[in-house]
Amino acid sequence: MLTAVTPSAYVVIVLLVPIVLIGLYSFGLITNVVGTHAAFSTSDWSDFLTGAGNPFRGRFFTSMIVTLVVSGAAVLGAYPLAYFLAFVAGRHRYTVLLLILAPFFTSYLLRVIAWQVILNNNGVINSALWQLGLRAHGHAISWLIYSKFSVALVLFYAWVPFVALPIFVVLDNLDRRLLDAAHDLGAGRLSTFLRVTLPMSLPGVAAGFVFVLIPTTGEFIAPLLVGGPSSQLFGNSIQAFFSDTPDWQYGSVLALTLVAVVLVMLALFGRFIGGDLTQPEAEGA
Amino acid sequence: MQQLNRRDFLAAGAALGGAALLGGCGSSSSGGSASSAAAKTTPLSKRPDIAKEPGNLSILEWGGYEAGGTKAQTSGLWAGTPYTQEFGKHSLVYTYIVNDDQSLSKAGTSGPFDIMHPCNEMLPSFVSQGLIQPWDTSLLPSFKNLNPFLVEKGQVNGKQYMIPWDWGYASLLYRADKIDPADATGWELAWNPKYKGKISLWNGSGSNMEVAALKLGYHNMDTMSDSQIQAAKNTLIQQKPLNKFYWSSEYEQMQPAFKSGDIWITYAWQDAFVSMGKAGLKVAYLNPSQGKLSWFCGYTLGSQTKNFFHAHKYVESFINHKACVQMTNLFYYGTADKTIKPSEVQDHKLAKQLNIGDPTAIEASDVHLQSWQPQRPKYEVAWQEVLAA
Repeated sequence: MLTAVTPSAYVVIVLLVPIVLIGLYSFGLITNVVGTHAAFSTSDWSDFLTGAGNPFRGRFFTSMIVTLVVSGAAVLGAYPLAYFLAFVAGRHRYTVLLLILAPFFTSYLLRVIAWQVILNNNGVINSALWQLGLRAHGHAISWLIYSKFSVALVLFYAWVPFVALPIFVVLDNLDRRLLDAAHDLGAGRLSTFLRVTLPMSLPGVAAGFVFVLIPTTGEFIAPLLVGGPSSQLFGNSIQAFFSDTPDWQYGSVLALTLVAVVLVMLALFGRFIGGDLTQPEAEGA
Repeated sequence: MQQLNRRDFLAAGAALGGAALLGGCGSSSSGGSASSAAAKTTPLSKRPDIAKEPGNLSILEWGGYEAGGTKAQTSGLWAGTPYTQEFGKHSLVYTYIVNDDQSLSKAGTSGPFDIMHPCNEMLPSFVSQGLIQPWDTSLLPSFKNLNPFLVEKGQVNGKQYMIPWDWGYASLLYRADKIDPADATGWELAWNPKYKGKISLWNGSGSNMEVAALKLGYHNMDTMSDSQIQAAKNTLIQQKPLNKFYWSSEYEQMQPAFKSGDIWITYAWQDAFVSMGKAGLKVAYLNPSQGKLSWFCGYTLGSQTKNFFHAHKYVESFINHKACVQMTNLFYYGTADKTIKPSEVQDHKLAKQLNIGDPTAIEASDVHLQSWQPQRPKYEVAWQEVLAA
C-alpha cells in the first residue's frame, strides 16, 4: 500500500493541490492582497463567462483557434518528417532523429529570441532579400515579426520535432508485411499509404496533436517576444494577471478555465490514442 | 506493486485539498501581520552584528541597475562597486521587474527581498502592505548629501521608507528624420495613423493610462474617475493597432528595435534619447503640449530582511557622490545627490536640456510627476482589457 501511495500522493500534490488552490483563489476564498479579507464571490466567474463584451473571453476563443491551427499545421509538418525517419532513413534513423532533436535541448527562450534575429526588419530574411535584389534596400517585409504569422511560425518550429516523435514510433513499429500484402494485392504506393499506413498511424497522429495542443493553449513566451499587440494569446492574459496586477482572483478564473478546457480536450482526443503506440492494431486483426 | 484504487486516490486528493483550503484561509492576513510586526523599528543595539548576518542580499531591481562588479551589470554602471569589493559579487541575487506593476506584485509574492527599487508612486502601497521598513539614515554617510526635496518625498508618516536615487522624465522618443515636425506636438503623436506600425508604447499599465489621460486632457491622470478610466481605456484600444509591439524590456526590445529602424516613435525615458543619439540616429525627445511625465525611484528596505546592515552598506554604495556622478553621466538621469557640480557632468548641453541638476524639475508646471494612484488596480485591469481587446 505504501509503495502505491507514494507516487500517487506525488501526483495528487503536484497536480491536484495547485488546481484546488487556484480554484479557491478564483472564488475569493483565498486572497493574495495583504490587508484584505477573503470572501466567497462568483462575480469574476460571471463576468468572464457572461459579461457583455468581455475581452478575455474573446481572446480565449481567438487563442483556441490559433492553437488548433498551429497544432494541425504541426502535425502536417511533422508527418513527412516521421515518415522519412521510419521508411527512408533506414539504420541511421535514430541518429537523424537525435540530430533533429539536438537544438531542442537548448533553452526555449533562446530559440524564440533567435527567431527575432531571423525575422526582424534588419534580420536574416530581409537582409538576404535586399542582398539578392529581390526587395529594395530598407523596405522590409514588416509582417514577418510582431504578427500572428511570427507567433504561429515560432510555435510550429518549436513543436514539430516533438509531434514527429509519436508518429515516428507508430510508423516504425508498423508491421511491414501489411504493406507488402497491400502491394501484392495490387495497391499502388499512394493507395497503400492512404488505406494502410495512414489509418494505422492515426493513434500516433492523435498523440502528436495532443502533444502540441496542450502546451500551446497556455503559451505566452512566443507571443511576448515575437508577437504584436494583436497576436497575444490567452496565456499572456493569465501571466499578466499574476505578474502585473494584484488581481489573482481574476487570473485564477482564466487559469482554471484553461485547465478545464485542457481536460476536456484530453478526454476527447484520448479516445483516439488508447493502447500501445508500439503495437498499432491492423484493421480486422 | 499494489495499485491504489480510485476511492483511495480521491480520498487522498480530498484530504490534501482540504488541507490546502484550511491553510489558505488564513493566508490573507497572516502575511500582513508578520510583516507589520517586522516593520516596527528594532533598536540597533538589538540587531545582530553585521558579521552574523547571512550576507546574501536578495534585490528586486530594474535591469541595468545591478551593482558594479557583478556579471549582471553590463551597462557600465559603477554604483555598488564598493559593496561588491567588500562583500563579494556573488553575494547578490537579483530578481527583475519591467514595470511598476510588477514591483508591487513581485515584492509581495516572490520575496521576501532585502532591498527593493520601486518608484515613488508605489511607495504608499509598499508601506500599507507591510512590505518595507524605515531605513536608519544614521548608517548612510552620504544621506546628508541627498536633496531634501526628494528625501521628503521618500517619507511616509515622517519615516524614511525610501532612499531616493534616480529621477527623470518619460515622453515620446522619435526619429526626427522620419517624423513630420508638425505632427510632433503632443502625446497624440502616438495616435497618428500616418505612423502605423512604427510606434511602440511601453507595456506598463499605470504609465499608459496616464498618457491616455493627458492626451484626453485630464490633468488628474492619477486620480481618474471610473468614467475617465473607461475613456482612457477606449482611447488606448483605438491606439493599439498602430503599435508594432508593446515593449517590456528597454535594452532587449525597445532600443534594438528603435536603433534598427523597426520603430520610429516610442515611449522612453531620457536615457534612450541619449543612447540613440550616441548611436548616430537623428532623434528628438518630445516636449508634449500636455506636458511630459516625470518620476523618481529609490531604495526600500525589506520588512523581513535578515541583512539589515548589509542592506545599508549596499545602498550607501549607490548614493555616494562618485556613484551618483557616474550614473548621471551614463544614463543622463538625475540623482538625488545635491552636491553634483555642473562641471562634473560631461555633456553640459544635454544636462541643461534635461535640467538634470535640479530634481525639483520633476514638479515643474509643464511636467506631471507620476504619483500614487488610489484606483491603480482598476488602471491595471483596464490595461489588461486593452491588451485583450
